[in-house]
Parts: sequence; C-alpha cells; structure tokens
Amino acid sequence: MSGSAPDTVIAAPRANSRTLQRGVLGIVLFILAWEGIARGFHLPAYTLPAVSDILASIWTKRQILLTAAGFTITEAVVGYVIGALIGVALAVVITLVPMTRAVLLPAATAINSVPVVAYSPLILLWFGIGMPSKFVMVALAVSFTVFLSTLAGFDRVDRRSVDLLRSFGAGRLAILWRLRLPTALPLMAAGLRVSTVRSIIVAIVTEMLGAYGGLGWVIYQAVLQIDFVQVWGAIFVASAASLAFFGLIGFAERRIIFWK
Amino acid sequence: MGHRDQSGALLRAASETASSTAPAPVSAQPPLLEMKALSKRFGPVTAVDGFEAAIAPGEFVTVVGPSGCGKSTLFNIVAGLEEPDAGSILRFEGRSCHAHELLGKVSFMPQRDLLLPWRTVIDNAIIPMEIEGQPRKASRALAREMLPEFGLAGFGDQYPHQLSGGMRQRVALMRTFMFKRELMLLDEPFGALDALTRTMMQRWLLEVWRRHKRTILFITHDVDEALFLGDRVIVMSARPGRVKLELKVDLPRPRHADLVTSPEFIGLKRIVLEAIEEEAMKSFLAPGATAPQTDTPE
Ligand SMILES: Nc1ncnc2c1ncn2[C@@H]1O[C@H](COP(=O)(O)OP(=O)(O)OP(=O)(O)O)[C@@H](O)[C@H]1O
Ligand SMILES: [Mg+2]
Repeated sequence: MSGSAPDTVIAAPRANSRTLQRGVLGIVLFILAWEGIARGFHLPAYTLPAVSDILASIWTKRQILLTAAGFTITEAVVGYVIGALIGVALAVVITLVPMTRAVLLPAATAINSVPVVAYSPLILLWFGIGMPSKFVMVALAVSFTVFLSTLAGFDRVDRRSVDLLRSFGAGRLAILWRLRLPTALPLMAAGLRVSTVRSIIVAIVTEMLGAYGGLGWVIYQAVLQIDFVQVWGAIFVASAASLAFFGLIGFAERRIIFWK
Repeated sequence: MGHRDQSGALLRAASETASSTAPAPVSAQPPLLEMKALSKRFGPVTAVDGFEAAIAPGEFVTVVGPSGCGKSTLFNIVAGLEEPDAGSILRFEGRSCHAHELLGKVSFMPQRDLLLPWRTVIDNAIIPMEIEGQPRKASRALAREMLPEFGLAGFGDQYPHQLSGGMRQRVALMRTFMFKRELMLLDEPFGALDALTRTMMQRWLLEVWRRHKRTILFITHDVDEALFLGDRVIVMSARPGRVKLELKVDLPRPRHADLVTSPEFIGLKRIVLEAIEEEAMKSFLAPGATAPQTDTPE
C-alpha cells in the first residue's frame, strides 16, 4: 500500500526523461536531414536555405531578432494574461449566475465562429498599429479557448459531490472554490497550454498586417527585401519562443495538478 | 405545498406553546426527527410513498430494504438536498420544517466516499469545518487528534489514491463526525467492504458512536448488520418505499461479535428476513423492476 506511492513518484520522471531523449533525437535527425537535402541538392535560399546558414544569419542579426522577439513575446504574454483572466472570469460568472449562460455562451460562440485573424483589420483600425492592437487580438484568441475549457471543467463535477458540500451548508461560491475550480484545473490547464502557441501565432500574424516591430514585422520586411534566410531566422526564433512558453506552462501544470 | 405550509405553521405554533409552558421531562424525550406521510415522486416513478418514522435523540436506527426502494431518496430529503412532495410532514428538533432548512444541520455521509483527490486525509476530513468558517489551523489540529480513533494514525498527510477502500471509508466517516451535528445519516457506509473488514468496522462504529453520543440513521442491505448495530430496525417495502416493519432490537450493549449466533439474534433475524424476502420478491416481479437501479439516473 504505502510502497506504491514512492514507485509512482520515481516512475513519472523516468518516463518523462525517456520521451525527452526521443524528442531531442527526433529534432537532431530532422535538422541533419534538412541540412543534407539543402546542401546536397544545392537548393536556392528562396526554396530552402541550409540550417547552418540560418543559424549563422541568426547570430549576425541577433540584435534585431532579439529586439523583435522581445516585442512579440511582450505582446503575446500580456495578451495571454488578459485573455486568460477574461476567459476564467466569464466561466465564473456563468457558474455563479446560471441565468447568464443563455446570453453569454451564444454571444461568445458567435464571435468565435470566425477565425480571430478576420477581426485584425478592424482591431488595427480601432487600436492603431502599436502594441495595444496585438494585446486585444491575442486576448480575444486566448479568452475563448480558456473560457470554453474552464466552463467544461466547472460543469464536469460530480453532482453527488456538490450535494455533499451543500449538505454541509456550502453556498455557490464555496462550491466553486473548493470543488469546481480544482476539478476544472486539468481542463483549464489544457486550454492554457494550447493557448500559449496560439498567442504567439496571433501576435506574429497581426504584426505582419501592421506593426512598428516584432518577429512578424521582421518576416514581412525580409520578404520585401527578398532575404529568405532572414525569414527563416525569424521563424526559428518564433518557434523557440513558442516552445519555451509552452514548456513553461506545461511545467507549472505538472507542479500544480499533482493528483492526476 | 400550501396545505403543508399551513399544517407546518400550526404544528410549529403548537410545539412552541408546549415548550414555553414547561420544560420537557427527561424521561419522555421528544423525537429529534419525525417524518409523516413522506412522499417523493420523480416523474412517473414514486420513490417514497407515505413513509413514517420518528427518531429519538441518541438512538441508532437502521434501515433495510430492497435495492431501489427509496432509501437514498429518503436520506436526500432529510439532508435537505431534495424537497418531498406536498403533503409530506417533516419535523426536526420539534419544529415542522422544509427540507432545505435542514441543509447544514444534518451530518450526511453519501453512498460513495466522494473524497477530493487533491486533498490529504486531514484536509478531506476538515471540509465541513472549513465551510462553517472555522479556522483551518485549529480544525487540522483537531483532525490530527482524531486520526488514531478512526484507524488512520500516520496517514493524515496521504492522498486518497494512496489508501485502501476501507481506509477511504473511514476518512469519509471521520469527515461526517467532524461535522458536529446531532443527527447523522450514513448511507451504506460499509457496502463496498469485504465481510471481514466489515464486521470490524461495525464494532468500531459502535464504539465511536458510544463515545460521541450522536443520533444515527443507517442504511444497509445486510440484515446482520442492521440488527447488530441498531436499537431499532426499519424494514422498507419495495418501491414505492414505506415502512413495512419496525422492530425493536432489545439486545444488550456493548455488543460483541458472538452476538450474531445467539438465539435471540437469530429469532429477530428470522422476522426481518421474512419481511424482506416478501418485498424483494415483489420488487423482482414488478414490471420494469428487473433493470438495475442506480442512485443517479441522469
Ligand atoms: N433524481 C432522481 N430522478 C429520478 N429518479 C430518481 C432520482 N433519484 C432516485 N430516483 C429513483 O427513485 C428510486 C429510488 O432510488 P434510491 O436511490 O432512493 O434507492 P435506494 O433504496 O437507495 O437503492 P439502493 O439500495 O440500490 O441504493 C429509484 O427507482 C430511482 O431510479
Ligand atoms: Mg441508495
């Protein structure tokens, strides 16, 4: 009985490090194949530049790329936090005041039935081409995902558990805090994790449509200058930022939801 | 509804005058809980129909009956989770009341343990006190002191998934005891345990009950268990549930394991079994009763 606890504690990280090893191996093989194809077939840069060329370019342009990445990450993270807060807040309102469900859910679904990027011209018009428009776009994309996953989590509770807490005299708020929120955490976390990558993508796409800086802006400028190595450099930096954001949230998730 | 409100007001007025004129004598204790003409329908299904019982303070009353006869429904009403149908009479501590007024006043243990996986044993046990708004630190200290009594010494900081079924059940019981209310409702607390663990838990529960001096209403499928534990056994009829038989269990306490083989015990058991057999046959032969019944149909 008590012996099973340490087993699971040891087993989990072991499995984790194995998947990590496989992942790293996969990436290394992929990069080697890419390098081999680009060099072996003497592909022109606009088709596929060699990885080594891209990395060299990233190094020489590191100042520009670093500034741009800082720009994009700021937009993504600020928008992400705002969006996550709005998403959770909406789900809480619907749960505490069930009447609002009939109004809020269809409205949110209607807004989300179109890809968020479709709103970007309007948002750029309303909020200008500075950072605020990117905050809004990212927040829009993130809030809906987080809202739906949180609401699904809140609704997933066992009715008998709700009844048990009610029998102790608990009100809606106490039930939300002590039962619905912890029950919803795994689903919320999944929504938050998916949203990390989405937030970087939306920030970059919006930058390409109009911005004063950022990785999307760098990509757009590089295309205009027919500098495809630079395009790839910005893409590499963007995916590194995405992966880091994703990994950070995933790490926090495993820390917080220990009982899964 | 209106009818019940009226009678409730009348009864309440009556009981108030009675209690204000003279303190009740100790010998004739008024019942803690009284149910009369208690009925509950779910759409076309009548779960409980005209149930009647009175529970005296400090009493241990066991309820047996065929599966699906409305036992859990009865408990849900007394716990305040579900309103009975109009015309039902419910009186608690001498006052007529609606079911929902009993929320927070009765200590209820549902059929499943329903422990929260993210909380340790201690933190699961103190949930009712937390909801009452008592300081966490003091509640935790109290819970820690109670661990040995519930056979959980050294397990206070474990999580539910690290416990055996019997231990989880004891945590659920401890949580119920920590909600300090006069009346406790235990819905098949030992239903999922093996026979050996079960008899140990029964003796243990009697011991805890003797020390904590609560009133217990206890649902079980097991006739031996009902007789071994109870001051009184209520046998329910097949659905719709009503009282089929009420039997006083005049066996001396403290009760020991060998009681179940004594002639007095066997005599009582025969009476209860006979009544149950009849009802079980009825519920088995009733149309639509062959499908397994669950607590939460939706
Ligand atoms: N919320 C509900 N909605 C509809 N029907 C219900 C509901 N709760 C209970 N019932 C029905 O009421 C009847 C009695 O159910 P109940 O759970 O009280 O039986 P029980 O005596 O506790 O059975 P068991 O011994 O199997 O636990 C069943 O037929 C059940 O289907
Ligand atoms: Mg039941």
